Amino acid sequence: MLAGWHDAGDIIMIEQMPILGGYTGGVEETAICDVASSIATFALFNGDIHLDGPIHIRWGVTSSRETMQVAAHAAAALDYNTDLLLGNQFYTMAGPCTEMCLLETAAQAIVDTASGRELLSGVASNKGTVQDKTTALESRIMGEASMAACGMAISDVNKIVDNILAQYEHQYLNPPQSKRFQDCYDVNDLVPSEEYLSVYDRTLETLSECGIDF
Amino acid sequence: MVARRYIDVFETYDRFAEGRRIPEKDWDYVIVPENAKMMKERYDLHFGSNIIPDDPDLIDRLFLAGVDMLLSTGIYNSDLGMVLDLDEDELYEGLKMAPKKLKLGRGKDRVTCKARRGNTLRKPIIQGGPTGAPVSEGIFTSMIQSYAQEPTVDTIVSGVLNTVDGHPATTNTPWEIRATHAEIRYVREATRKAGRPGMCI
Repeated sequence: MLAGWHDAGDIIMIEQMPILGGYTGGVEETAICDVASSIATFALFNGDIHLDGPIHIRWGVTSSRETMQVAAHAAAALDYNTDLLLGNQFYTMAGPCTEMCLLETAAQAIVDTASGRELLSGVASNKGTVQDKTTALESRIMGEASMAACGMAISDVNKIVDNILAQYEHQYLNPPQSKRFQDCYDVNDLVPSEEYLSVYDRTLETLSECGIDF
Repeated sequence: MVARRYIDVFETYDRFAEGRRIPEKDWDYVIVPENAKMMKERYDLHFGSNIIPDDPDLIDRLFLAGVDMLLSTGIYNSDLGMVLDLDEDELYEGLKMAPKKLKLGRGKDRVTCKARRGNTLRKPIIQGGPTGAPVSEGIFTSMIQSYAQEPTVDTIVSGVLNTVDGHPATTNTPWEIRATHAEIRYVREATRKAGRPGMCI
């Protein structure tokens, strides 16, 4: 497939999701392998943009403290030393119509943006495993949080992300009940329900208390 | 030694075919973990508590560790059971070939993905969508349209149709192919309905 796309002049995005706690071990070892395989995307496989996604072996998410640390360190290492185009994808524990899902998404969007990535891809809410449990409001907060983080000092970003993580990481064992697209959107007019918009507003208030407004 | 030229996907295949034969379990359980641990020690990497690094020396050492890991370990092709090797000049020649900027989409919906260099004021591309999560056939187009109508979303990442024409889109069956074609058709229809027909999908 790669050969066909390369010969046709297509734009090639190559995806790779290193598993934290798997063969590559802890955060430092996983980040080393993440940098190595990101480079291989361009140096061996004619990729044009790399799509990352360090994933937690226990939780199956990209929004945990450790997996965000791997992604941020790998992105910074590549960003400081090359002009490669780098993306990251979003897998959250919680699903639509929950504050936890929106907080997980906002935290990762802030981290990916501040560590120099060029593309954010998501959101696979509920770990991307439950039918119809993804909605566009998760992508909205991904975009808005990213724009709010642009240009911020890294020391400030680290404090904000710590504050946001404290709001949700204790809930991994018992995430809140989420809703399907059909249950939190008007499927004819394609607008979010009043309930989900209220959840979104509450999340913005929480994020403001954590140190970031948008 | 100076590289003859960058390695393309065809030469990569040839190098795999002529590479080192290694059992997959040795690669997974011994070579990758041991080499990654060795690189951590060689480059003295300890992340501490910061999510995003702010120590330029640590950042550079991690980059060098990643380069060293690739050069000293190679890349494994699990279909062939072979490992490919490359040298440092070939690696950097390949990085020079990588684009610094991509145009995504068509017409007024086209966006530019450009190297940002740190946390600049230029925002990243926002690729919105279910990111491979399963989506019912009956709501597929509507769901994707709801992403395409979000102002912050620049491009679309699709979901996965569980069924096509009522048939399960099972891997390695003709229905899988039909489902893939249907996904592309539905996503195009969704971006047109949202008034953004040129969005990159």
